[in-house]
Amino acid sequence: MKHNKSLSLLAGNLLLCLSVHAADAIKANAGLPLDISLTLDGGFSSRDIVLGGRERGFALGHTELGASGNIDNRFRGQAAVALHRHEGKTELEVEEAYIETLGLPAGLQIRGGRFLAQIGYLNSQHVHADDFRERPLLYRAFLGQHYFDDGMRLNWVAPSDFLVQLGAEAFSGKTLNHTNSTRERIGTYTLNARLGGDLGRSQSWQFGLSWLRNQLQGEMKGTHDHHHDHAEGVAGEAHTHGASYTGRNLYLVDGVWKWAPDGNNRERQLRVSGEYARVTGLNKFASSADVHNAAYLSLVYRWHPQWEAGIRADALKVREPHDDHFHAGQLEERSVMLAYKPSHFSTLRLQLTQQQDRGGFAQASNTISLNYVMSLGAHGAHGF
Amino acid sequence: MRMVSKCLLTLFAATTVVAHAQPLRIFACEPEWAALVRVLAPDAEVSSATHVLQDPHHIEARPALIGQLRRADLAVCTGASLEAGWLPMLQQRAANPAVQMGKPGLFFAAEQVKLIGIPEQVDRSNGDVHAEGNPHLHLDPHRLQEVAAALAERLAHLDPTGAPAYRQRYLQWADRWQQRMAGWQSRAASLRGQPVVAQHSSFAYLWAWLGLRQSADLEPKPGLPPSPGHLQQVLSRVRSELPLAVVQTSYQNPQPGEWLARQTGRPLLALPATVMSEGPAATLDGWFTRLIDQLLSASTPS
Ligand SMILES: [Zn+2]
Repeated sequence: MKHNKSLSLLAGNLLLCLSVHAADAIKANAGLPLDISLTLDGGFSSRDIVLGGRERGFALGHTELGASGNIDNRFRGQAAVALHRHEGKTELEVEEAYIETLGLPAGLQIRGGRFLAQIGYLNSQHVHADDFRERPLLYRAFLGQHYFDDGMRLNWVAPSDFLVQLGAEAFSGKTLNHTNSTRERIGTYTLNARLGGDLGRSQSWQFGLSWLRNQLQGEMKGTHDHHHDHAEGVAGEAHTHGASYTGRNLYLVDGVWKWAPDGNNRERQLRVSGEYARVTGLNKFASSADVHNAAYLSLVYRWHPQWEAGIRADALKVREPHDDHFHAGQLEERSVMLAYKPSHFSTLRLQLTQQQDRGGFAQASNTISLNYVMSLGAHGAHGF
Repeated sequence: MRMVSKCLLTLFAATTVVAHAQPLRIFACEPEWAALVRVLAPDAEVSSATHVLQDPHHIEARPALIGQLRRADLAVCTGASLEAGWLPMLQQRAANPAVQMGKPGLFFAAEQVKLIGIPEQVDRSNGDVHAEGNPHLHLDPHRLQEVAAALAERLAHLDPTGAPAYRQRYLQWADRWQQRMAGWQSRAASLRGQPVVAQHSSFAYLWAWLGLRQSADLEPKPGLPPSPGHLQQVLSRVRSELPLAVVQTSYQNPQPGEWLARQTGRPLLALPATVMSEGPAATLDGWFTRLIDQLLSASTPS
């Protein structure tokens, strides 16, 4: 708790310091040395859902203050402080604070500090750019919403007309395993490959493969502090950044396809994305059949510069360890959303989410929510 | 592991060598800069990140563009935050030191000329205003020539062996361009002083050069799509002085323009906001000729 207090004090100071800079930066409009952005996120939802990251009723979501810029001709830096609610308390957390090289030859790039792991399609993207109120079940169950950690990354981009990118990362593993101390110096490793390109003028695509190795799996007995008894089923709680279901290996396949008539995505665009994840090595009792699986498929259509609608189907299948045996759990989720985006900087979203218990998730629920995501200051460029 | 790293090293070495042996690879953010590069450096390998049917304010940092920027020796862009929503992400992802901020391999046209339309104060309640001034400067042929002069020098700096040729081509082109400008201006003399209704500040430089007046904007605020309420206001404002034409770019949704054109009985012009991908307007000359032709077609009642 002491740790949390000093962290929020630090974050508060940072906030103050950044906002003073922001005022200066807006006055001098050309060639800003620092881009400051503030993302406001909040809303109302009728009920809590299983593995949900938002509380029911009125609640703030992922409120975030970020700063980024080139440090000199060799390094770029970026930091983000996010506000969370955890068990009724508001916490400030440094989610990003990293430096990155600008001048390495041959398409190489090194990043160090705290940052979002480069795995899957969504993990390295900021939550406020998401199309739905909650990350897919896959992320909520296996990656604690989004996995960031302290570590290092090496990336290589091939000199080709389409994208070929290979990356490797090493992290402390502490946020994923929700622990403060470990024997291992390096807790997690990742490998990631991305391919992408255009098909004519109207279509573009990206395909990715990722592997996350969790060295800390099994080091902490029972993985988390909370032990489920048999009556409780397998429903996890995920208001923290630790993963709810872990294993030694996480494999991810992701694909994105976007279509816009004549490539003019401002007026109209169809975005289809999907990911599949498989977690193996749950513990020493696990046979090859004892694995976690999750997948989702999302379709979003923009038919007017200010309007989008989308649907997403999620599925999760877990084997929850109980001493030497496993409890099967299966959950399905469907979401429908309608988003109004008055400008490039604001989103209002109405969403219906329906969960269906297929075993072990008795708390599965349905919720209707209205939320906003708005940004002030520098509007960082979005990824694909 | 050793094999792999050896392999990668050879691959890197190979790519660096190839880069020197081949002609300059140039990444143009918009087609007008690609067209200008083709004039000044006809041997260069040029790609344009966008085309005439796309809104350059709203491009996605697509994988294909990351790949293209990764290989570029020079990136030629507009600047003044026109590409703020996508170029920084491309620079970050492409891992190409040559095209980072402040490097000679990154050329911004807006830094070579004085911009018009610099707002006195920037507040987002006034819309997504261009804080550094209007970036659509390629629609002024005079400024375009200033940019061409600066770009020829930049090419000469990056490729010293070709320097005399770049300068020579610029001088030849500028000579022709000045004659063209005089020709376009005399042809368009009848347009001087006429009002036009347009969407966004896309053609502000063209209006200033030809002496046209934008009497209303289809956008309620910069960057926002036209709304029915705002269109009604525009209609009542222009009723007393009907515009020469209602002008939109070829990437803007034509419905609001069509509606106003019907209500006012004036023609709707979908003007290409930049050099086109094919046909006679695929060069800078041909494109300006087409802009003048289309505007003149609106002023002669058929
Ligand atoms: Zn503009």
